[in-house]
Amino acid sequence: MAVHFINPNKTSSFINVLNSDPEFKIAARYMTKDVCIEVGKTKCIVKFRDGVITQMKSENAFADPWDFAIRGSVDAWEKFLQPIPPRFYDGIFGGMIRGNFVLEGDTVSAFSHFWAVTRMLDIFRELQNK
Amino acid sequence: MAVIEPVVGKYVYLTIQGVEYRVFYEECGTGIPIICQHAGGGDGLEWRTLLNDADITSKYRVIVPNLPYHGKSLPPESLEWWKLEYRLTKSFFMDFQLELSKALELDRPVYMGCYVGGFLALDLALEYPDKFRAVIGVGTAQRGGPATLDTFYHPSVSNNYRRVNAMYFCAPMTPEVYRREVTWCAMQCAAPTTKGDLYYYFKEHDLTGKTHLFDTSRCAVHLLTGDYDPTSSVEDTMELAKAIKGSKFTEMKGLSHAGMHENPPVFKSYLTPILDEIANQSKLR
Repeated sequence: MAVHFINPNKTSSFINVLNSDPEFKIAARYMTKDVCIEVGKTKCIVKFRDGVITQMKSENAFADPWDFAIRGSVDAWEKFLQPIPPRFYDGIFGGMIRGNFVLEGDTVSAFSHFWAVTRMLDIFRELQNK
Repeated sequence: MAVIEPVVGKYVYLTIQGVEYRVFYEECGTGIPIICQHAGGGDGLEWRTLLNDADITSKYRVIVPNLPYHGKSLPPESLEWWKLEYRLTKSFFMDFQLELSKALELDRPVYMGCYVGGFLALDLALEYPDKFRAVIGVGTAQRGGPATLDTFYHPSVSNNYRRVNAMYFCAPMTPEVYRREVTWCAMQCAAPTTKGDLYYYFKEHDLTGKTHLFDTSRCAVHLLTGDYDPTSSVEDTMELAKAIKGSKFTEMKGLSHAGMHENPPVFKSYLTPILDEIANQSKLR
């Protein structure tokens, strides 16, 4: 299974869907951060500027800076993106408790904006299965 | 004609460890009393559907307290609580249940709790087996795990963080209307309570070396855990159930951290046989 949100050809449509999602628009208010979502060895840097996603970069992103990162193996993300994920892969926080995902960097910022981040990941799942 | 629920809310004054608290509780039904304790950083809203379930309340007196500092149970008037860091201790938590039971003149009630409240089920059964006819622990394990509590009460982290945690502590098959209600309720409690309540769970609840001391002939021990619960897994609770002779474990399929709130009909299907068993055992005594 290919993980769609790291596919550069899909980036534009992902950004459009995210920025027009009613819940995401509320959840992401005031957020200005660079978030690294790492799928195995592939980094996807998501740039938030005042609540709007301005860029998703998964090509040549290895040296790009970020504020906090959520890391998981390809297998972990594939499980997470299933319509009904298996236990301990259904949420990032629960997945972190069970060691399937790792949060690094400015974790206080991550938790400050956790609603926006988790809504974004839910939309990733919705688009993955569309 | 307007729909009016049969649930009644009252205040009872309890003196716990020398301090008087005005404690809010709701109740409904008649029969064997069941104290339903909310989880950490929550309040009695978690049990609202059970309070309104006529199948249950026709046989049991369901009592749902709010711990001091939670929901409508305000901090005490006699304490300068604003100079203290809120922290739930095991001794306070146990004394609260004993004083509540005494004040309401309950005859060996069933104690049922979820998560932090569920862990207390075990401590009560171990230390006060003659005060409760049975305990039901939802989402329990032998001990709490390591955790960083600071993010649960941090000036840069809003109650939205608790909303998110609650939302993803629901199984993916949870009806959306309940999932969103769980998240709303998770934001209701005062900011310090989650961190303070988890102190008991992470730092004080530890049954290591004590499981052989349980006497389930005096106080029955029932353990329920959802298969999606990432905090206390099914395996964690099974390990505990194996260690407590005579305890009974039920895996709840399709539920996670707070089954009674995230999917009440499914939770009820697992709870009802346990309550029936407790009722039958009570007749034999």
